[in-house]
Amino acid sequence: MSPIRPYTIRVSQTEVDKLNQKLALSEFPNELEDAGRNYGAPLGEVKRLVTFWKDVFKWSVVEKEMNKLPNFETTIDVDGFGPLDIHFLHEVSSVKTAIPLLFVHGWPGSFLEVTRLLPFLQESAKNHGPAFHVVAISLPNFAFSSGVTKRGFGLQHYAEVCHKLMLVLGYYEYVTCGTDIGSSITRLMSKLYPSSLKALYTNLVPALPPSPWSLNPFPFLSFLARHILNLYTPAEKAGLEYTRYFQKEGMGYYNLQTTKPQTVSYALVDSPVGFLAWMWEKMHDWTDGYVWSDEEVCTWVSLYWFSRAGVESGLRLYYESTRGDEPARAGGYIPHTKLGLAYFPREMFRLPKAWGHGLGNVVYEKEHKKGGHFAAWEVPEAVAGDLIAMFGKDGGAYGCVKGNAGYASQPS
Amino acid sequence: MAPTVKPYQITVPDSAIERLKTKLSPTTLPGETTFSNDWKWGAPLDDIKRLVNFWHKNYDWRQAEAELNKLPQFMTTVSVDGHEDALAIHFIHQKSEKPNSIPLLFCHGWAGSFIEVTKILPLLTSGGSDSEQTFHVVAPSLPNCGFSQRTTKPGFGISQYAEVCHKLMLQLGYKNYVTQGGDWGFPITRAMGFLYPSHVLASHLNFILSLPPSPLYTPLLVLQYLTGRYTPAEKAGLERTKWFTAEGSGYNQIQATKPHTPGFALADSPVALLAWIYEKLHDWTDQYPWTDEEILTWISIYYFSDAGADASVRLYYEITHPNGHETQVEGPMNDLMKWNKVPLGLSYFPKDVIVVLSSWGRTLGPVVFEKRHEEGGHFASYEKPDLLASDLRTMIANSGISCS
Repeated sequence: MSPIRPYTIRVSQTEVDKLNQKLALSEFPNELEDAGRNYGAPLGEVKRLVTFWKDVFKWSVVEKEMNKLPNFETTIDVDGFGPLDIHFLHEVSSVKTAIPLLFVHGWPGSFLEVTRLLPFLQESAKNHGPAFHVVAISLPNFAFSSGVTKRGFGLQHYAEVCHKLMLVLGYYEYVTCGTDIGSSITRLMSKLYPSSLKALYTNLVPALPPSPWSLNPFPFLSFLARHILNLYTPAEKAGLEYTRYFQKEGMGYYNLQTTKPQTVSYALVDSPVGFLAWMWEKMHDWTDGYVWSDEEVCTWVSLYWFSRAGVESGLRLYYESTRGDEPARAGGYIPHTKLGLAYFPREMFRLPKAWGHGLGNVVYEKEHKKGGHFAAWEVPEAVAGDLIAMFGKDGGAYGCVKGNAGYASQPS
Repeated sequence: MAPTVKPYQITVPDSAIERLKTKLSPTTLPGETTFSNDWKWGAPLDDIKRLVNFWHKNYDWRQAEAELNKLPQFMTTVSVDGHEDALAIHFIHQKSEKPNSIPLLFCHGWAGSFIEVTKILPLLTSGGSDSEQTFHVVAPSLPNCGFSQRTTKPGFGISQYAEVCHKLMLQLGYKNYVTQGGDWGFPITRAMGFLYPSHVLASHLNFILSLPPSPLYTPLLVLQYLTGRYTPAEKAGLERTKWFTAEGSGYNQIQATKPHTPGFALADSPVALLAWIYEKLHDWTDQYPWTDEEILTWISIYYFSDAGADASVRLYYEITHPNGHETQVEGPMNDLMKWNKVPLGLSYFPKDVIVVLSSWGRTLGPVVFEKRHEEGGHFASYEKPDLLASDLRTMIANSGISCS
């Protein structure tokens, strides 16, 4: 097994200078009068963010802060793709029998999303709640992990890297918290590694309506009745509306990234303004009125800009995720792994809770009143609260990891 | 004050050319992978490298500009109800010297420009033998494209583009005219047929969108559609359409929902623009042997356009979000596919991106000419000008239209 090495983030001054040179030469489009946000990222906001990124934001300061986190690196071999250097955070709890938890980000997120959860999880450990050993991976092609330059690196390979990382850290059984494509990856992990992945929590619930063909007719009949009689709760109705809206208005990037990522790459790689606008539109639209500071936005964007494999490499995941042996799937019952499903009002798709029951053994579900796609960043207390409830002594996933129930062996 | 038509010559300022060169050096490109030259993933890295290098070091815009300036170009202004009072419109206008020539409005699309008319222009105005129909050709740069002005208010949609084209023809003294369109030329010329039916003598399309025959409106065609066997060409057309819908429509969806977002990259980075359009020049044509010169001229027209490289993509949003609608609506496009009484000529090219069944095309109106070609793609007037010119002549002959 490859050793685990402490990792220091070190973006070269040359790279920082190159970014600033490009930013200084930025050219902006004109905007329609009263365009609002309907047409995409508003000009005024992008201009302001670019100015901040160029003149105020100091990557070196941000890097220093990030280096205070427990950063590590290891090398994981993936059959057919060779050894990959994987960056991750690993916060070991003082409670030895803490629950090993793997946080899996998506696009345009990163390992950084977990950092907001940490203080709440640490509090939990201090206050007789469950404790967690937290691992937050940088997926291959993201942040400070290696890029994969061979085609065919599909979701199953991302799943493999995630699983192997936990094994390398000595966690043969573990639980996951997945967001965005991390939801698909962790779902696939539960299919591929059922004896390891004991419980899965996600805020992006890939549910489908109950199938008319399943052996138990009641979920489908119930769905049909409720649908025809329009018996959804107000929250569910709003969720369905928003899902429909998002499918119509918000999926252009997805269609493009899953079909022509190379074409998009040129735009994102050559133009920091272009990339910032691309990302900022999502950061705004996918969140629930979250007030991003310019500092936060530039930090998130810089993580991509200064990533090891290049700002464009995260797009490959989109192309591969719709093809090959294990494309991203909605629906499907996966047994064994316990499920915790969180419903946030501004998630991209937000479907009735009953549909989520078709995904597996749901031991925890919570409908939140605030929060969106980046829930762990926007409303970390809520997400941490979910994890604590789900894995705590009264929770449906309590004790799912043998020997690591999250509590000190001696009550204090 | 009545608008005046003035002769026009393209003169891109030196500063713009300098700015382009500055932006091209250095251009940052994505890293190499095993798939970075696979067209399935998008514009290949090696091609883009070569084109960037050529654009930066050897491509001579002034030479291309001089060539374009040999065309009879003009500038006028058009007022658009509810929008600009005097929108500057750049256009090519060539009258034929032959008798009985018919006025023809040539409507370009995206990712093309007025340049799409350049090869077919002499064929339409001078024709072949004396007996062949000739045309007075008007080919505008659509608003937000080429050297026409940028529009500033939301809601400048298909009807407005149609209004501009129609008013341009009237200004030039052409009360009655024929229209020819591909890509955006489809909805724009169709809209002209609905809005100005007494002016449009005939409509020719090389990009044909239509819905399946409806039992309510076109029952006989339903029968044809259901019982007819598809020809191999129709089958291939359906396959091509399936491919485009599944693999080639991402740009369409993003431009139709969030046009300003990619707009930033298109405005800021010439290589972003290059890749965005070059991919279409390859994927949408029938193995057309583009020279690097041609590619860069097509793209430079976008780069040096008055409206900016990003402005043209807004049209995709405007047509799907009429009247400030928050979500896409199918109504406007569906309306344009309803039966229209203007005599219709349909030319199907196999490598176009949507190729419908003949029975579907016939729901659009009274078809006086229909041909399914064996070669050619989306930019038919540029790829196969001879074929398209011939189609237009035959259409006129079939329709019995003459210029009085």
